[in-house]
This record gives sequence, structure tokens and C-alpha cells, in this order.
Amino acid sequence: MKSAQAEDLKVEELDGKAKLRKWLNMNFRIEMTDGRVLIGVFLCTDRDANVILGACSEYSKNSDGEPQEPRVLGLVMVPGRHIVSIQIDDTTPPQKYYYDE
Amino acid sequence: MADNDDYYYGEGIMDPLGTAPEVTYNWVDITKDFFENIKDLELGELLHDGHLFGLFEAMSAIEMMDPKMDAGMACNRGNPKPLNFQQAVECGKLKIDDLEPSELIGIIDATMACVVSWLEGHSLAQTVFTNLYLHQPHLIKNKSLKAYCIAVYKLLDCIRDCINKAQVFEEEDFLPMSYGYRLGSSPQYGNYDTSLDLSEQKFIAMLREQEEELNKKAKISDSEMAEAWTGLAARIRFTRMFYQALQLITKRDGVSGADCVALLNGCSEMMKVIIRTSAKGTQPVENSDAPNPMGFEPMMNQRLLPPTFPRYTRIKARPEALQYFDEMVTRLRHAWKITSCTNFHTALDFFMEFSRQRACILSRSALQLLYLSPSPAAMTTMGPGPAHRIFMDILRDSIKSFVNPPALAKLPPGTTPPAREFIDKFLSRCVRPFAAFLQVCGHNRARQRDKLAMLLDEFAGLEEEAESVDAVISATMGMPARACFGTWVLYHVLRVMIAYLLSGLELELYSVHEYHYIFWYLYEFLYGWLVSALGRAEGLSGEAKRSEKKSGSRKMKKRARPSAKEGLMCQVLQSMCGGYYKALVAFKLQGKIRQPQCEFDNEAVRYKHRFAPLAVLTPPQVHYHEFCEMTRPLQYENPIILYLGGCKHFQQARNLLETITTPDQEVLDLLKVAKTNFIVLKLLADGHKSDSSTPPDFDFSVHRHFPLIKLV
Repeated sequence: MKSAQAEDLKVEELDGKAKLRKWLNMNFRIEMTDGRVLIGVFLCTDRDANVILGACSEYSKNSDGEPQEPRVLGLVMVPGRHIVSIQIDDTTPPQKYYYDE
Repeated sequence: MADNDDYYYGEGIMDPLGTAPEVTYNWVDITKDFFENIKDLELGELLHDGHLFGLFEAMSAIEMMDPKMDAGMACNRGNPKPLNFQQAVECGKLKIDDLEPSELIGIIDATMACVVSWLEGHSLAQTVFTNLYLHQPHLIKNKSLKAYCIAVYKLLDCIRDCINKAQVFEEEDFLPMSYGYRLGSSPQYGNYDTSLDLSEQKFIAMLREQEEELNKKAKISDSEMAEAWTGLAARIRFTRMFYQALQLITKRDGVSGADCVALLNGCSEMMKVIIRTSAKGTQPVENSDAPNPMGFEPMMNQRLLPPTFPRYTRIKARPEALQYFDEMVTRLRHAWKITSCTNFHTALDFFMEFSRQRACILSRSALQLLYLSPSPAAMTTMGPGPAHRIFMDILRDSIKSFVNPPALAKLPPGTTPPAREFIDKFLSRCVRPFAAFLQVCGHNRARQRDKLAMLLDEFAGLEEEAESVDAVISATMGMPARACFGTWVLYHVLRVMIAYLLSGLELELYSVHEYHYIFWYLYEFLYGWLVSALGRAEGLSGEAKRSEKKSGSRKMKKRARPSAKEGLMCQVLQSMCGGYYKALVAFKLQGKIRQPQCEFDNEAVRYKHRFAPLAVLTPPQVHYHEFCEMTRPLQYENPIILYLGGCKHFQQARNLLETITTPDQEVLDLLKVAKTNFIVLKLLADGHKSDSSTPPDFDFSVHRHFPLIKLV
């Protein structure tokens, strides 16, 4: 619904931009070059793939590979050159959380 | 700060606790698409939701993989992982027994450096608690070190208590957080064992015992070793005495002052030995972050810090830290002198003078506690009580010695109950603003300005009340109206106003093209009013004395009037401000001062802003249009005449200053400024560089408020 609106408003907007816009305010999971994983809300990006995540938490592992307690970081900027992979949370809208699989 | 309400939990493997998270994710990889899509963005273009997120928010984000901001980065996590106390002891990196004196001196001096870094505004977690010995002092076998470590805990607690009580710190001065370390009691992190708590006497006795022990060792050693043992004994002794002195200052429960002075003097003596023997201790490894080779883990508490915390604290270098301690003891000894200031006036001057020396947070706090118990800060919040009444008496005495109102001096108590009650009510109202004034003087210089402005608001209400007290008293006593209380309040209001305007010069807030109305205001009004307020006070108290004499009063206390020198200094400063003002107008007329481009300039707005806090009170603020009217004639004046006028002002200031028989540093500095500016203006009046448009330089290196005028 939201994406349809966005597309209506910006008919001329390039395909790539429109797709990025669709992802705004959704949960991202970014893996960084040093192996840490960040999960937060996608807020902003630019041509160099610098990504800003809101309400972000950091998940890391210690040297033995055991996961450590997540750290709440808040607002972070991840430089594009340190991004290894990006995943998006494709869970269905919030009200469906209550249906158990 | 980070909004902790929306907490995101990861999926199974990421969750350390294994609790079922409410949120489940269905991650879909978009890496390739994402990197493809961003190519459609222009260079520098930001893609974001314009309503909720803008550049402003973007600026406050933490940058990942930036060593300065990202605490989770490998380089910041400490590699290899820092060892805790047990691990370090097990692998032999931390000796808890058989320590050489040089090692002990090194550890103690490094700890002192950490304490200094803490007192300069860094967090405890990144300074003192990087010392592993402090994590488990009860497990240390070496008795001297154990006693020292326990003492450090008590000392930290005492310091924090003192600073918290005084309430004159801001976030840049001091961080009171202790990050879960229990100060003052059993210093174990986490599991708390009350059986290890040491009573005050017991731990003092422990320190004394170590002192003797170490001194004994010094006697039986050869001279080289003896010096090290003596140095160590001095460190233990210093810690004990410093703690005890601070304890006396903070508690202030009627203990004799002589003890505190003796303790502080002892501290100074010990500091000499400590500084002399500091080379005997192990020194930090070059290019290492640890302040000592053994016992310190700079990254120890990294996980306790919030994500946006400065990653890294450089511990103060040892020689400077010891110097700091030495000077701090001197400052505390100086602060002690406030206890002999019986008069509120002299006390206020002492507070202002003390602040001028930019003292450290601990001595500023100690000064507050030494003057008023529990503290001026407490006075501003608490209701009537014994402490409240003591301060009311101080203020009553201050009024007595300043204007000597008949209502306070003459009749025996009970004769004019309504008037007396009225005065008591007024004094009770005075407590808050006047205590706040003292508290403001305790803050750091930069923070004082805003607080002075707020103080003016408080005083505004007081002025009205003082007037009505004066009116009621003259009515009940059947005497012509005398503005006794009004004058007393007015005097303090003027001092606050002057301090406010001058602080802008000290903090370099004004542009040169603004100087002329700042100095004009001080010269034409504030100092003039202050001189007349002092004059009026003199007159009023003289009058009261005469009438006392007439009525045959027995006690005719001869009051040495300190206001004579104060009045003189006011005149000096007024002349100096006049000198600057005239010189500045002349500079402007000769095009020597750079003016803002006219389209960006609105002098009326700037003027209004600069004097805004002065608007709430009597004396009324002088408005911009009045300023323009009053100064218009000067716009057509010959600059030469103005330079000569300025010259005369500086000459006058100089003559007045030279009448002071025992000049202090302040007087000498002003004298130097007045002399120099006199000569500079004389040169300008003679036409020196009259056609040059190079702006003159205002050099504040000699005096913080009154610059040397320099021609370049």
C-alpha cells in the first residue's frame, strides 16, 4: 500500500530509488566486515551505501565463537565499505505476529 | 540518547539467554539488489523519509568501524581480552605478595594519576578502576598495598560526597557515577560481603600501622633502599591525612579547625617527599596506555560504558598529577581561610577571588562546605531550620555593618514586634538568592554567566520586598523613609550585573565592534550606580551612628570600613571603562574597527540581546534608543579629543591605584593596563597611525576583563 503511494507520487523516480524507498523504516540485518551483526530500522542511505540504522543493536561473538549479550547502540551509521551483506525482515505485518506457526 | 524502549532481540542463536523472543524475523538477503539500487542515487544525495528523518538526526549517529566512536570494534574490545584480578594473579601477571618498594611506589603514583584524571572530569571506570588491585583489595597479601587500596575506596567516596554536597559541578567538571563499584564500603564488585566492611577507626589504624612498619624498614635499610621505604611511608601517611582532612571538611560536625589545618599542612609536607621519591617507582612503559607496568588494564571496564562514551581516556602524566595533588592541598589550605571570614561581605569577596583563580572542582566544593554547613546549595532548597537561621543571622550582620539600619541596631528586642517580624520575614526570603549567589561563585567560570543571569531574576523579587520593608519600618518607627534594606539589595544586584557583563569579556563572547556599548554601560551606569550605592550606605550608617551617639548608646563599635577601598576600586574601574569607551568610539570614527556587513547587521538587536538579563530589575535597563540618544553627540566629535578624553580616564585610574599602599596582584595588573593604555592613547591623540585602518589589538593576557590596547 505504502509503496503504491510512493510510486504514484514519484512517477519519474528511478526504479532503484523507488525500491530503496520501499525498504525505508523496515528492519535490516547488516553483517559487517569484522563479523559483527547489526539489527535496526533502515532510515537513510546514499550512493556509497552508507546506511543509517535507528534503534540498532549489535550482536557479536567472542574469540571462541560464543555469542555475546547484544549491545543497544541506538542510531548508527555503517559505512558502505564495511558492509558484507544486508538482509531485510520480510515478516508479514505486525498483527500477524500473533498467529503461531 | 538512545531510545531503549524499542529493544530488538535477535533470533535464536543471537539471544544469549535463550528466552523466546516475541519478535521473529524472516531474513531475506537483498545485498545484491541494494548495491545495485544505490547506483541510481546522485553523488551526495541522501535517500530518507523526509518527515521523520533528516540531516540533523544523521549527524548524531555513531559511526561504526570508527575507532574513536565504535566501542565494539576489535581494537576497542582489548585484544587479547583484559584479564581480571583472579586471572591476572593466576598467570603471574599480578603480584599480590613480595612486592618491591619500587613496584609499590609505581602502583600508588599511577593510582594518584588516575584519581587526578577522575577529578578532571573523566569516568571512574576509565581511570581509577582500571587498577586491578582495587577490584579485590581484600585478597592482596601485601599489607601496605592492601591498606592503601582500601583507603583509596574510602577516599573516593569522601571526595564524591564532598562534591555532591556542594553541587557546584557540571558534567564537564566531574562524573559522579561509580559503575557498580561500591565506594566507601567493602570494595567488591558484584557480590557484596558485609563481613569485609571496615570501620573508620579500624582502617585508619591499619594505615597508621603500615606507616610505622614502613618507617621501621627505612631505618634498617641502606640509604638507597631507605629512601624508597621513606617515600612509601609518606604515600601512606599522605593518603591517611588527606582522607581525614577531607572528612573533617565534608562532615563539619563541630570538630576543631586546628586539626584540619594540621592535617593539610602535614599533607603538604608529605607531598614534598612524594614528589622527591617519585623516580624511585616503576615508570609506565613508553607508548603504553597503562599508567604503570603492573596492575592496570585500561580496557577493563569498557563494557560498563554507554555506547556513545569517549572510548579512551588518557591518564594524566605522573609528574603533573603529583603536582596537581600538591597544588590541590595548597588550595584546600587557602579555602580553609574562609572560616575566619565572619562578615558576609568579605566572604563574598573571598568566594569571587577564589573562583578567579580557576580552582579545581574539589577545592571549589570544599570552599562551599567550609563556609556554610551543610552547603549553600542545600540552603537554596531546604526550608527553615537551624542552618537557615544561622545564614539569616549572617545576612542580618551584613546589613548591620553595611547600612546599620536603626531597626536592627537600636531598641532592645520586643519593642517593635511588627517591624522585627517584618525584617525576619525579609531575611528569610533573602536566604535563597544569597546562598545561590555563593553557589554560583563555586561553579566553573564558563558556567557562571548563565547562572548570574538567572540570579538576577531571583533578586528582582527581593528588591520589591526590600522597598516595602523600608517603608513599613519608617512608618512604624515614625522616621523619615530611609532606603536601608533597598540599598543593601541594590548593591548586590549591581555586583551581579557587573559580573555578568564582565564575564562576557573574559569568555570572549563579544566582538570588538560590540565593545563600545558594553564599556559604555559599565562606565555610564553600573559602576556609577555602585559608587553611589556605596556612598549612600556610608551615609546611612554614619547617620545611624550619629543618632546612636546622641541617644547616648553605650557601645560605639568602631567599624573599619572596608568599603573605602571598594569605593576606590569602583572609581578606578569606572574610569578604565570610560577610557575604553572613548577610545573605541574614536577607533570607530577613524574606521579602525571592522564593522559587520550592513545587511547582516542590526545593532539594536545585538544590544538588546547583550543586556536582556538586566531588564527585570531596578535600576531600570537603559534601552537602545536611549543609548543612541545619549551617544549621538560623540559621533561628531573629533577623534583626537576622544583619545585625549580616554587618556585622562586611564590617567585618573592610575592615580587612584597608586594611592593604594599595599597593592595586591589585581591592583598591580590593573596598574599595568592603565599605564600602557594611557601611553597608547596619548600616541593616538598625537596623530600616530591616524590614517591607518589596521584594527587595534585587544590583549587580555594581563587582565581577564581589561585588555591592553595594542597598535599593530
